[in-house]
Amino acid sequence: MFLAVFTPSESSGAPPDVALVRRLLQRDVNAFEELYDRHSRIVYGLVLRILQQAATAEEVVQDVFLQLWRNAAQYDTSRGPFLPWLLTLSRNRALDHLRRKSERQRRREEQADELPAVVAVPDFESCLDEKRRALRVRELIGELQPQQRRAIELAYFEGLSHSEIAAKLQEPLGTVKSWIRNGLLKLKEGLQSTA
Amino acid sequence: MSNNEPTRDPFLELVESYALGSLDPEERASLEAHLAAGCAECGKALEEARWLVSQLACLAPEAGPSGVLRARLIETVRADVANNVANDEFALATSRAIIPLWMWGAVAASVLFAFYNFYEARSVRQAIRQTQAALDEQVDLQKKSAQELALARREAVILTDPRSVKIPMPAGQKDLPPLQATWHAALGILVSGESLPLPRDNRTLQLWLIPKAAGSKPIPSLTVRPDADGKFHLLVQNPPDSQGDTKALAITEEPAGGSPQPTTTPVWVGAVTGK
Repeated sequence: MFLAVFTPSESSGAPPDVALVRRLLQRDVNAFEELYDRHSRIVYGLVLRILQQAATAEEVVQDVFLQLWRNAAQYDTSRGPFLPWLLTLSRNRALDHLRRKSERQRRREEQADELPAVVAVPDFESCLDEKRRALRVRELIGELQPQQRRAIELAYFEGLSHSEIAAKLQEPLGTVKSWIRNGLLKLKEGLQSTA
Repeated sequence: MSNNEPTRDPFLELVESYALGSLDPEERASLEAHLAAGCAECGKALEEARWLVSQLACLAPEAGPSGVLRARLIETVRADVANNVANDEFALATSRAIIPLWMWGAVAASVLFAFYNFYEARSVRQAIRQTQAALDEQVDLQKKSAQELALARREAVILTDPRSVKIPMPAGQKDLPPLQATWHAALGILVSGESLPLPRDNRTLQLWLIPKAAGSKPIPSLTVRPDADGKFHLLVQNPPDSQGDTKALAITEEPAGGSPQPTTTPVWVGAVTGK
């Protein structure tokens, strides 16, 4: 029920994601273009937030979409909506990339690679529901205690474990666990009450 | 606890953190064993938790990949399709070449002829693909030019339309130049300025919309760095529906990628006086 209520809506008249993914299995380039145009911004924003470097983020986004094109069958339509699956795949790829890099490599790349001027979302109408939900998520997370919010961000964007977060924030492990779980439950309740 | 209360599965406490990937190895292993044993309740909770965690992607600042990436991907995908067609035809041709040994001498010439024809056809297809790729490249360039032109027109209208609201954004520090924001209710917010110093390290400048409603938090918007000449240019194409809900625009310096809430004092602030 929860998933049914909060499945991202798609523009009226446009084919749903699932239909486009099925067309990928028939090697339909137009379906790929439509999926890319529909989701590349949120995927890129997420990957850029994790990796902090535009060129590396584009490499990872390219890998993600090529994986989607070449292995579309990996997405099981019976196991939930497409976008969360794509975002999970993108986050995992970005975190893998982050973990593979040595600290020295990171520093060198940070010096050489600056973020470009960011491009605004070009099609407001088609992203309206997505943007409203994004605003709501930001509001709800913004209402958390700063340390609680920081713990969730460290886990999500940097892939740290409870123990690593506790060490980084110098807080007891149990506190960190409670912060993260309660914060996510609050987000869930907030999104449910918005629907 | 009353004995009549239903017992809650203790593993349910772990599913959100498991979906987030933050469980330590021992807890992770125990939950995975529990899921492998087929607990339907935890399985369903995990499915919901995965969706919930995916929503955290909304915390990332808005940004778009370059047009070059899109063009590169589409080119790769089209090449994949073309290669698959060629491979399928090759497989078909070679399967037809399996001939009984006693007929080998008789059919060898035919097979060679077939291969010759196949390679000839492939060369023609390759030439067509190259032409098609060049054509696609031209189309992409035209699309890009059209997009840039549309953007420039949009900015020109924002700047010249009498319905646009001008919002001066003076700097809070004497040695910094002011910025100028122009807000058109339908077309967006344009913020520009010149001679800005580059933020240190990889830091960036981020625009915030300060709501009028008491207790509301600043709404994060786009991030951008001045260019090498100190020019600052930012276009928000999707501002809130009503200017009347916004008290002010502010710009802060933030870590690369931006922040969900400001982490520094605003450097530039401009009051919104529109309807």
